[in-house]
Formats: sequence, structure tokens, C-alpha cells
Amino acid sequence: MPPELAARRERRPFAAHLVSQNIGLLLVFALLAAAVILYCVFFWIRQQSLPGNFELTSTVNNTMPLAMAAIGQTIVVLTRGLDLSVGGIIDLTNALAAVHIQDNVGSMLGWTALVLLVGAALGLVNGLLVGVGRLQPIVVTLATLSIFQGLAIRVLPQPGGAIPPSYTAALVDPNNPWALLYLALCVLLWLAFRRSALGVAIFAIGNDEGAARANGIKVVQGKVIAYTLSGVFAAAGGLFLAATATAGDATSGNGFTLSSIVAVVLGGVNLFGGRGSAVGAIAGAFVTTMIVNILFFSEIDPLYQSFYEGLFLIIAVVAGAVIGRLLRRRR
Amino acid sequence: MARLGRLRLGRDRRRTLYALIAAVALFVVGELVHPGFAGLDSVEAILTIASFVGLVAAGQTFVVLIGGIDLSVPWVLNGAAILLVTLSLGEDGRALYALLLTLGMGAGIGLLNGVGVAFLDVPAVVITLAMNGIMEGLTLGLSGGLTCAACASYAPPIVQRAVHEPILGVPAELFLWLAVIVIVSFVLGRTRFGRHTYAIGNNARASYLAGVGVRFTTVLLYALSGLFSALAGILLVGFGGQASLGMGTPYLFQSIAAVVIGGVYILGGRGSYLGAAAGAASLTALVSVLLAMNMPDYGRSIIYGVVILVLLLLYGREEGEG
Repeated sequence: MPPELAARRERRPFAAHLVSQNIGLLLVFALLAAAVILYCVFFWIRQQSLPGNFELTSTVNNTMPLAMAAIGQTIVVLTRGLDLSVGGIIDLTNALAAVHIQDNVGSMLGWTALVLLVGAALGLVNGLLVGVGRLQPIVVTLATLSIFQGLAIRVLPQPGGAIPPSYTAALVDPNNPWALLYLALCVLLWLAFRRSALGVAIFAIGNDEGAARANGIKVVQGKVIAYTLSGVFAAAGGLFLAATATAGDATSGNGFTLSSIVAVVLGGVNLFGGRGSAVGAIAGAFVTTMIVNILFFSEIDPLYQSFYEGLFLIIAVVAGAVIGRLLRRRR
Repeated sequence: MARLGRLRLGRDRRRTLYALIAAVALFVVGELVHPGFAGLDSVEAILTIASFVGLVAAGQTFVVLIGGIDLSVPWVLNGAAILLVTLSLGEDGRALYALLLTLGMGAGIGLLNGVGVAFLDVPAVVITLAMNGIMEGLTLGLSGGLTCAACASYAPPIVQRAVHEPILGVPAELFLWLAVIVIVSFVLGRTRFGRHTYAIGNNARASYLAGVGVRFTTVLLYALSGLFSALAGILLVGFGGQASLGMGTPYLFQSIAAVVIGGVYILGGRGSYLGAAAGAASLTALVSVLLAMNMPDYGRSIIYGVVILVLLLLYGREEGEG
């Protein structure tokens, strides 16, 4: 229950303004830097060398599905919503990819487009229920999560199927971190989106839905598009997951519902809507992967992995809140 | 004011009634599909399964009534189940100590959730999600992935009897659930604490200005949710005998579904535990009917989701009329 008094904002120096506006982004990059340094230290202790191209490539490739899911989740969270069905969409699209993609260019391109379309359609269902049906995002996406998971198992009852090696090479080259190019593309798209009419509408909806509506922003349309985009990005996550695993599994996406929220929160996106950046969420996704890497090298029993993820999540959220409060108080 | 109050009660009762009618209708359908489905033994068995969902839903009702949510259910429940067997080693002599410690653990975790929500302003989704991860890591790590020597222990016989022992031909578990329904309904409907809960759910700021201890009540509600998850874990291990990994996972979805089916408004302030309990019963009856029809897993999962969406749309419509 934050006091509404924070609204009386005075002018402050430009630098301080910039810092406090991007505090989430700064925090997540500080966190990422700390994680990378810690990882290098542990790596040095174990291997007497610094991590190289191989480690970078595998980190990037392992992060791609989560980074995609986190971008989609960001857009929905910005509207003050939440998409719990991300895991189900990844399950279903991953299964579709593993069952259908054949080793020829036509099939690869065609099915990639089709799978992304399926993701859009699934997201559209969420968006219509939330936007037009005016239902609560959490329950809607919890219900569709169950439906999508069911459909995924219908498509691929047992783990299996196969992804052609050339498809894997195109998406997540195992030898070089080319996948970073896709991320760079996403960042560019994000920067354009942020300044587009649609982007502004989505931020406005999250900040104050009533005011946005009063200012002529099409709230329902904005929400529907936000969930649809989340579906598309989750589908992209499903494709990357299939490419990294080189096979399909209709349950392998389940964890992404939670981890995409973790990435978004670590990335400084405000869960009460209207504030945040997909760039932060991508960094948040990398922090999540780095935590796993660090745990691996620090010889901590992998069984404790969720414990540390949960702990870091709480620390990040509380630290973000405390630092934000301090900055606001100093003014 | 009085009229408004009556209207609200009217709608809540109506929804509770819907959920109960749905449960009865499902038993009738089940009897048609699979003769013997609505027999006494079968109904008792189904209600016993429903009672575990119902207990978790009690905790979920508490937090949903103030517009919160508890996503830490799966591993608080699972952790409680494993803690009970490892502490008690299946001996009645150690049962009391194990029970108190396990319930204390559940309440303690819930308390931490509540402190995060009420004092640190962390969104309920985030703090309970993180807590679920923490409990998962601790449970897996401390039990060595359920490979520890004590982990294979059975629940103390006294706990098993508390679930299975027939009283007047009905399993004790059902009396336990009935007691919980009566107590929770009384607490929510007839006490100051209950009125404060509804007040916070309707308008936290107004409640604060009216002198309601918003933070204190919030912390207490989350602690209760943790307590009920732990209680469900204890009784579930008493029901099955041994603990297993992942036994808590279905209960998150089912508890939220039960609450929604029972007409508790997900943004808080409206609804009753009787409704959520009826929701748990009809949800379990639905699953049992689908099982009796030999519906495969994935089909059940799809129907689950569709049922919740349909109910949400129906209730939403009703909201507009009122």
C-alpha cells in the first residue's frame, strides 16, 4: 500500500532524474555484472582459465527461450496484466515444431511461420478474454495454461520428434553465439515499439487505464495486442527450446511461466504496470541462467537451485523497492 | 447499506448454490455413465479427495478475499508432508512434536509471505512464487531428493487414522473438513477479523483510514494460508501413507479453481468459504466423472480450463446485471 503522496514531484538534476527513471535497468545490469564476475571467479578456481567462446555460446543458447518468453511477458506486465499461459504456449509450440519440421528449407520456413501464427492465435484468445471479456488476467491465463498444456500432450504424447540439425544451426549455432543477433534484433524492435503509438498506448494503459481511455487510447485493442504479442514471443521461445534440445517435449515449457516472471521482475519491470523495458527483461533472463551456471561451478548441490532462484528474486525485488524509495526521498 | 449487504449475500449464496448443484449434477451424470458412481462408498471416496483441495482452498480463500494469491501452495504442502514423516519417523510417540513443528513451518512460511506483501510492498504473486522456489529448493536439498533414510518413513499411525478411521461409517477426514468449514465460515462471517478481511478486500485504503489493522490482518491471513497448506500436506501423507516429490503441484491450480468456481471474487472483498468448499467438491466430482469416462489426461486438462473460463464468463455477466 504505497502512499499516494509520491505524486508531488519536484524538479531535480537531470542526472538524478535519469538514474531514478532507469533504476530498474541499472539494477539488473549491475546484477548481471556481479553474476558474470562471480561466475568467472568460480570458473577460474575450477579450470585455471577464463570462460571463452564455448561458455558464452552455451549461455546464450540456453537463455534464448527464456529471453523470448520474458519479452512477451514484459509487454503483458506493462499493461498491468500477467500471462501465466506462457509455459503452455511454449509446450504446444515446442511440440508442434518437433513433430512437423522436416529437413528442407520450405518446411522449416513454413512451419516457423505457422508456429508463430499459432502462438499469436493462442495469445489472441487470452487477449480477447482479458480485453473484451473483462476477466482477470491471472485466472484467464491459468485456465488457458491448463488448456494449452492439454493440447500440447495431445500433439506429442511422449517426448520425441526430431529437429533437423540445420534448423538448430540456424537458430542456435552450437559453435558461435550467433543467437545474439536475434536478441539484437529484438532490442531494436523493442526500441521502435517503445516509441510507436502502440507502445505508448500499452505504457499508458498500465499507468492509468481510466486516464488512458479518457485520452482516446483504445484500451481493449491495446490489451488484445499485448497478449497476442506475448503469444508470438512465447512461440518463438518454443522454437528456440526445440532447436536447443533438438527434440520436443510437451512438458518442457512448464517452468517458463515462473521463470519468465522471475526474469521480468529481475529486469526491473514493475508488476503494477506501466514501467519497465524488454531490455531489462532480457538481462533478467541472463541473470537467471547465470545463477544456474554459478551454482553448477560453486559445487552447490543442484537440488538447491530453486532455493537460490527464489532467494535472488526476493533480494532483487526488495533491493529495488528500497533503493527506489531512498532515491525518491533524497530528491 | 443494509440493502447492499443483502444483495451481496444473495449473490454469494447463489453462487455457492450453483457450485453445490453442479456437484450433485455431476454425481448424477457419473451414475449414468458408470453405474455405482453415486453409491455411498464412491461419494465418500470422492469427497475425501475433495477435502484435500478444500483445505488448501480455505487458505487460498483467505488471501484471495483481500485480493492476494498464494502461489507457494505446492512446495509448502510438499515440504510439510516430507517434514512430518522425517520428524515423526512413523512413530506415534513423536507425532505430536512433528505435527506442531510442521504446522509451525507452514504458518511461518505464510507469515514471511505476509510480511513481504504487507510491509515490503512486494506483489503477492512475486513473494509467494519466490517462496515456492525457496521451499522447493530446501525440500529437495535437505531431503537429498527424497533419498534420506527417514524420508521413506510412513506417516504416524495416528495421522493415518485421523484420515481413514470411519466414524459412523464416514471417514474421519470428512468430519475434519466439516469442522474446518464451520470454523472458517464462522471466522469470516461472524468475527471482527472476518469483517476486517472483507473490508480490506473491498478497499484497503478506506479500511486503513477506518482504523483496521491492514498490515497485521494481511500477515495473519497469509500465515493462515501457509497453515492450511501444511495441514493439507499432513493429511495427504496420512491418506497415502508416504510422501512423494511433486505431490503438492496439482493443488495450486485446483485450489484457485475451487475458489473461482465457488464464487470468491478474485480481486477480493466478496465470496465465502462454503462456496469454495462446494467448488472443491464439484471440481473433484468433475475429475472423477471424466476418469470414469476414461478421458485421457490431456482431455481432463483441457476441460478443466474450459470449465473455469465458462464460469468466469457467466459470473462476469451476472456482475454486470447486479
